[in-house]
Amino acid sequence: MRLAGLLAAALFAAAVALPAAAQDAARGAAISAERSGAAISAERRGAAISAERRGAAMAAERCAACHGENGRSAMEGTPSLAGQPALFVTTQMILFREGLRQVPAMTAVAEGMADGTIEDLAAHFASLPPGPPEDRRPRDEALFAAGQALIGPRNCAVCHLPTLTGREQVPRLIGQREDFLERTMIEYRDGLRVGADSQMNGAVVGLTDAQIAALAHYLSQRD
Amino acid sequence: MTMKRLVFGLVAALTAAPAYAQAPAPVPGWAVGRPEGSTLAPHAARMTVTPLDQVPVGSIRLPPGFQAEVFAHGMPGVRAIAEGPNGTLFAGTRAIGRVYAISRNPDGTTRTRTLLQGLPQPSGLVMVGNSLFVFAVNRVLRYDNIEANLDNPPAPVDLTAAFALPTEQEHGGNHHWKFATLGPDGRIYTNVGVNCNVCETDRDKFALLVSFNPDGSDRRIEARGVRNSVGMAHHPVTRELWATNHGRDWAGDDAPQDTLLRVRRSGEDFGFPFCLGDWRDPQYNAGRNCSEFAQPAALLGGHTAVLGMRFYTGTMFPEQYRNMAFIARRGSWNRSRLAGFDVVVAHLDAQGNVARVEEFLTGFRNDTAQTFADRPVEVHVLRDGSMLVSGEQMGAIYRITYRQ
Repeated sequence: MRLAGLLAAALFAAAVALPAAAQDAARGAAISAERSGAAISAERRGAAISAERRGAAMAAERCAACHGENGRSAMEGTPSLAGQPALFVTTQMILFREGLRQVPAMTAVAEGMADGTIEDLAAHFASLPPGPPEDRRPRDEALFAAGQALIGPRNCAVCHLPTLTGREQVPRLIGQREDFLERTMIEYRDGLRVGADSQMNGAVVGLTDAQIAALAHYLSQRD
Repeated sequence: MTMKRLVFGLVAALTAAPAYAQAPAPVPGWAVGRPEGSTLAPHAARMTVTPLDQVPVGSIRLPPGFQAEVFAHGMPGVRAIAEGPNGTLFAGTRAIGRVYAISRNPDGTTRTRTLLQGLPQPSGLVMVGNSLFVFAVNRVLRYDNIEANLDNPPAPVDLTAAFALPTEQEHGGNHHWKFATLGPDGRIYTNVGVNCNVCETDRDKFALLVSFNPDGSDRRIEARGVRNSVGMAHHPVTRELWATNHGRDWAGDDAPQDTLLRVRRSGEDFGFPFCLGDWRDPQYNAGRNCSEFAQPAALLGGHTAVLGMRFYTGTMFPEQYRNMAFIARRGSWNRSRLAGFDVVVAHLDAQGNVARVEEFLTGFRNDTAQTFADRPVEVHVLRDGSMLVSGEQMGAIYRITYRQ
């Protein structure tokens, strides 16, 4: 039962999160006309599973030391990747590789990495069940409430969805490491970081350090 | 139809009003005015290579006698196309920050290189002589003698200060990417999009078509009140400037429409944010009479995202296409059902008026599943009269040929 549930979750995550090969093939009328729907979905599932497997092997070698064996980071300042939308992981890796986003620890990892490898890694991390890091501190109710009160006015849900779990190129926020969230928002606010576009720079403009700390606490405490 | 459209616009305006009433809301530009509960958002870009067997050339539909093939592929985010004197094609991108070079092998196949990378949205490309100009938001970089140095591009001449285009920050992250083209007068024409979805703006600074000498001097406003144009071309006979233009979002599925503009006199005003054709903006009309503004040459559908346009100057296609405007419609996100994702032809009459607009390249949009296979962004006429169409989503350039 538990295994079946996990498998279903992984398949669902892969099907939703792997826009690359599978969905594109399904979109092409000329291609799909030659195959039945069942064959396509079986093929898609097969492709998604093998992408995850390849990604898992690569992640164990290249990512786990910092981002955690299960994709939940135990390292200060390093984000958890478990359950992140695949396109988010892909986009950030491309930005690292192309030199558009500068994080020294990631530069060497991303350098020369093939698109297919990046997509495999993304499929792997998207398939992992998300959750908070083991060292998450206890909730500070006042800080939590202060952060919660900023979610609406700051329009976080517009891109990150009302669940704050992200979509496509937009990351999942809940359960993320508090120190990473805090530093990231400060970097956006102070113009030290850009994303795929400058939307986050606008979203955090004018926030005080205390407000950012509250937001980071709230988001990290949400499950 | 008109009534329905007006009611829809009004409802959208009313539901959107509270967003404007708030203090500066740090909502992303694209979402300003989004009604409560709407889940519409721009489609995510794909930044990885699409394998050749998944490039959806097989789904392309064309009029009888036309064929489509994959000309080049493996170029995520490919958009604008510029051609060098020796036939090298250069292609710009947005988020992935690259400029590609595509050269043709003797056997007709192509070779693609990533020529430049790490640039901020290098979507505007123009060749002036042997020099490639790259417009990357406000940065303007000139790469001299580029075709002789495809494997080792020279350090660029930085013309950013001379052109003095508004920065991404001044744009507030809205419509800051560029399209660029060379006019028959030897000047470079480009767009300065508006710094919002819709707003009162500095109409001497934003929502413009502008031209410059290639050294960045002598800025001239070619058209005003143009919300955002990401495609322009000069008519091969009249030399008039034509441009595509995106209408604002969140005012309904079908209004305002994206438009084709014909600039009859330098400096004409097309009315943004007050009007678009005879359509009055429900929030920003400010009591202006729409007849005081230049009227669009054609309406091209709500939110279809009209991008690259070129006049067909070749001889391969049938005579009826000579000097007609081919227009890529990248495809909608800000409407309830997908529209565009195709290339249309605006047929002009002897006076240069648009007589009709016809579909030309279709098949990317699946109306049943509400999915799309690719997003056409640029059209480019090759010297042999065939036509290239760039597909941004799948990172491919398609070549359209005709034989009887």
